Amino acid sequence: MSDALYGRFQKKWNEVTDLPPQTVGPFTPYYKMVTKRLKVMPLPKLIIISIICILALFYIFGSGITFIASVLQRGF
Amino acid sequence: MVDSLVVGTYSFARSCIGIISRPYETYRRIIAKGTLYELFPIGILLSLYFATNALVKAPAFRPFVLTRHFIKTSISVAVTALFMSLLLWSVGKLFGGKGEYKRFFLGWCYTLIPTLLWFLFTSILYVLIPPPRTTLPTGIALSVVFLTISAVLLFWKIILSYLSLRFGLKLDLLRIFGILLVSGPIIALYSVGMYRLGIFRVPFL
Repeated sequence: MSDALYGRFQKKWNEVTDLPPQTVGPFTPYYKMVTKRLKVMPLPKLIIISIICILALFYIFGSGITFIASVLQRGF
Repeated sequence: MVDSLVVGTYSFARSCIGIISRPYETYRRIIAKGTLYELFPIGILLSLYFATNALVKAPAFRPFVLTRHFIKTSISVAVTALFMSLLLWSVGKLFGGKGEYKRFFLGWCYTLIPTLLWFLFTSILYVLIPPPRTTLPTGIALSVVFLTISAVLLFWKIILSYLSLRFGLKLDLLRIFGILLVSGPIIALYSVGMYRLGIFRVPFL
């Protein structure tokens, strides 16, 4: 292995081992599944999740969501 | 000094693209190699927002009123950012966190970008289509769009906050939940205080 390649490997290894591996007991596979998708370009997934959440909110509150929007719009 | 500011601005621009496309890798780099010069462009962007906010919210279009509003908002946001980062860092240390405050603070300041975008978006929308929203189909549609954009920015903010705690304090998810459980009531009280003082209705966290 050349010195440059070994240097890169060592740098990457230090980066990876800098943090303890994340485990959440029996939920670890689910955690890994979710975070894997959020590590690269999460915005399209966040848009889909947000649309689902807001439609669920609309289903629950009906036209009452206009009140939530009005309150938030005055909130800045 | 000028060179460092230019490099800091370039790193900031690179990191801004990174926190959209590859937040995990970018946060690792921000915490490991970021410099405090990157705070300079964040400060400028925040100042631009405060100026916009003063124009939209100040009761009268007079230099004194606008300046007072600008200074009040700027100081409040600076105090809030310091308070939030110090609180989370201190509680994180109690939970066994490792790392320097300076690095964590830099990471935390990048979480202000989704907040800034939300406040800027809301301010502009307030001028273009002032509330209240009606219960007509157009009002409901606009509310759905507004709330969806708000939710996207909120989820993005949550991810960036998690990453700043994960990399800045080198903690795992359970400890991060612990920090939020301890800090949550304090942040809520602080937010209520800010609301009572008439500074923020939605806290600029």
